[in-house]
Amino acid sequence: MATETDPQTGPGDATGETRTPFGEVSRLSGIVFEYLTLAASMFGILSLGILLSYVFWDAFGLETADPVWYAVLVGTVGLPLVGQALYARRNPVAGEVALELGSTLLGGVLAGLALVVVLEVIAGSEVWFAYFLTTVLPLGSLYVYGQRNEATWVGLAALGVLIVGPAIGTAALDPLTTVAGLFGGPGIYLLSMVLPAALLCRYLVGEFLELGNGDYAAGATLALAVVGIPVVDTVGVARSVWLLFLVALVMPFGIVVAKTLAVPERRVGFVAPAVIIVGIGLLAVLPETVGVAGPSPWFDWQYVTSNPSRFADQAGLYPAIIGSVFMIVAVAILTLIVGVGTAVYLEEYAPSSGIAASVVRLIRINISNLAGVPSVVYGLLGLAVFANTLRLGFGTVVTAAFTLSLLILPIVIISSREAIRSVPDSLRDASYGMGATRWQTVRNVVMPRAIPGILTGTILALGRAIGETAPLIMIGVATSIYSTPSGLFDKISAMPMQIFVWASFPGEEFQYGVLAAGVVTLLVVLLTMNSIAILLRNKFERSEI
Amino acid sequence: MSKNENTITTEESTDADPKTTDEKLISTEVTTGTETGRTAAGGRTIIEARNVDVYYDDLRALDDVSLQIPEGQVTAMIGPSGCGKSTFLRCINRMNDLVDAARVEGDLLLKNKNVYDDDVDPVALRRRVGMVFQEPNPFPKSIYDNVAYGRRIQGLDGDMDEAVEQALRRAALWDEVKDQLDKSGLDLSGGQQQRLCIARAIAVDPEVVLMDEPASALDPIATSKIEDLIDELAEEYTVVIVTHNMQQAARISDKTAVFLTGGELIEFGDTEKIFENPEHQRVEDYITGKFG
Repeated sequence: MATETDPQTGPGDATGETRTPFGEVSRLSGIVFEYLTLAASMFGILSLGILLSYVFWDAFGLETADPVWYAVLVGTVGLPLVGQALYARRNPVAGEVALELGSTLLGGVLAGLALVVVLEVIAGSEVWFAYFLTTVLPLGSLYVYGQRNEATWVGLAALGVLIVGPAIGTAALDPLTTVAGLFGGPGIYLLSMVLPAALLCRYLVGEFLELGNGDYAAGATLALAVVGIPVVDTVGVARSVWLLFLVALVMPFGIVVAKTLAVPERRVGFVAPAVIIVGIGLLAVLPETVGVAGPSPWFDWQYVTSNPSRFADQAGLYPAIIGSVFMIVAVAILTLIVGVGTAVYLEEYAPSSGIAASVVRLIRINISNLAGVPSVVYGLLGLAVFANTLRLGFGTVVTAAFTLSLLILPIVIISSREAIRSVPDSLRDASYGMGATRWQTVRNVVMPRAIPGILTGTILALGRAIGETAPLIMIGVATSIYSTPSGLFDKISAMPMQIFVWASFPGEEFQYGVLAAGVVTLLVVLLTMNSIAILLRNKFERSEI
Repeated sequence: MSKNENTITTEESTDADPKTTDEKLISTEVTTGTETGRTAAGGRTIIEARNVDVYYDDLRALDDVSLQIPEGQVTAMIGPSGCGKSTFLRCINRMNDLVDAARVEGDLLLKNKNVYDDDVDPVALRRRVGMVFQEPNPFPKSIYDNVAYGRRIQGLDGDMDEAVEQALRRAALWDEVKDQLDKSGLDLSGGQQQRLCIARAIAVDPEVVLMDEPASALDPIATSKIEDLIDELAEEYTVVIVTHNMQQAARISDKTAVFLTGGELIEFGDTEKIFENPEHQRVEDYITGKFG
């Protein structure tokens, strides 16, 4: 460094070179790079945003709405929302409460819908009863026992129940469903859902949150269930649906409301949700009374509850929604068990030296490669192995679930491995150093820290699976189907298949209306799945402190 | 368990005149563990290594190490980085088993039983030999759950609250955390975290506590607290500590083992003698800072 200031000669010596000590250093390339990356991300976000706006515009039929309707929309929903947002900045507690109430409400509705779809539409209450008795009830009892007592055998017993329970339930399905028939649907839910929920309510209100007398809360839940029955009879809602929604929506919402009421400074949080709910009600009523045309959405209640049709007005996505949800639940169970199991083995148990290690390394590399195989190839595999060789049927739930599971397994394994590897070795050392067995270490130290990451990766992969079309075409999934599946071997349709076939229908109504509504439905299901994953992840991240 | 309790009682009865912590803090000269009056207890050998070699694949990490660690004393292992002192420590509770590439030859006896015998379960061994690591590594759980962890996984009966309090008291942490047992162990300061790790290790009443540079990531004040604690632990447990800090070894240990590069044990003996009058020139060079 000839220009380095030499203390003996000082700056500006014989060479004539001087160095400006505080001059500007060129950052040109850095600035160019910064704006290039900004442009790249803006390009992606904008193009996706424009596409989605088109889809939503079509799906909700917004072009038919009168300008006055938009004014009412802004007045009744938009302004209160903005007001709430501004107020929440000044009073974070209000925002927090509003968010809690809103998410409980929305989550309750979604959970209720999911329960109704899974228990009423797909399985039937008698089948639920069989598995409740053999699996859910023992597991729940073991969990409660494990929470109250220090017992190491509980975990093993739970694992046993998880394996044996469903097997017994399946074997004894006939006698158990006959017994269940004696209770009837509402009776089953009263026993298997409302009663445990009331007990949970008693614990939450009485012990965990300490809001008041838990017995009263449990009694109120049971009383509400019974009192609600004549009410829903007159309204025309099925009793089973009422009981399921009581458990999924009414009880949690009631607890959140009680929790909020208990703290005076949190009560202000009720204002915003109330105003917004009233606003939505006004929006539904006002324009009609004034005589202003609202939007005529394709995406409406009729759409999500009807079968497909050749008439655009009557077309619906119901069987495809049920098919997709059923399939994705099966895929989720399969991939979580197989994928997380593989990842745990590869990271925690697999040998790291010798010949066995080379085999393991080969497996690891190949799993990574499998993640890049085109989905249509997996479709071909599903067709050959599951549909033809194993005779699981063309286009059935089980074939589709196996095929899509294979498709996303590599992604689930890779992301789960990353999550497990991110658990610091120092924690493993600490656990082993205490004399923990490998299983105890995995169970108590590794998994609690890895679960948030595992869930994130799995949900992203499931999102890919639910939108997948090519492998479904290969295994012969029907494009349109007019009944909902009620068992693993029933034929299904899936949302992307139905959307795909609508794109080829003649007529603008299908191409621009029904199709767009289908895309919106798919996105809603996807976003719901993602938000459930985020909620679960946050819960686990918080629970480990 | 009962054996362990016996050990503790003998320790206490033979420990005639332990200097108090205050006295030690006042004295400016380097006090070695030998001067604190534990020598009387240090009779029996609890850990004995006979010609122990350790290989990582083909790399030799320990070269023919033989030594005898006395019961109820603090034994320090010093030496430059990579000299094999941590490897030796990890042999004692078979933590090296977790490294597939590691291979141990020779005999390592704990209470006259070779821990590398086929009928020794390393998990059971580690329940008798506790370990504290270089970086404080509390679990991301509450303080209470951290201390209770060992007792839970070992299925130990008894009053858990009592055991947790006892362990925290013995680790000199109780007064600082007794009102916040539900708080995460990670919210504590580095020194407190390390004392929490020590509490976690002694909550299951091990016979030996191994410490792998327990104070190297801590500031001087936290280090001095840990050193005081080690001194007190030696009343009940056999402590084997690896350290980079020679003054620390001189302050807290009764016996010192000097490892030099190549995994060789150069000298082993009373700390006083090693630091004042070592037999080997290399040891003297290392201790006086001429090399290493």
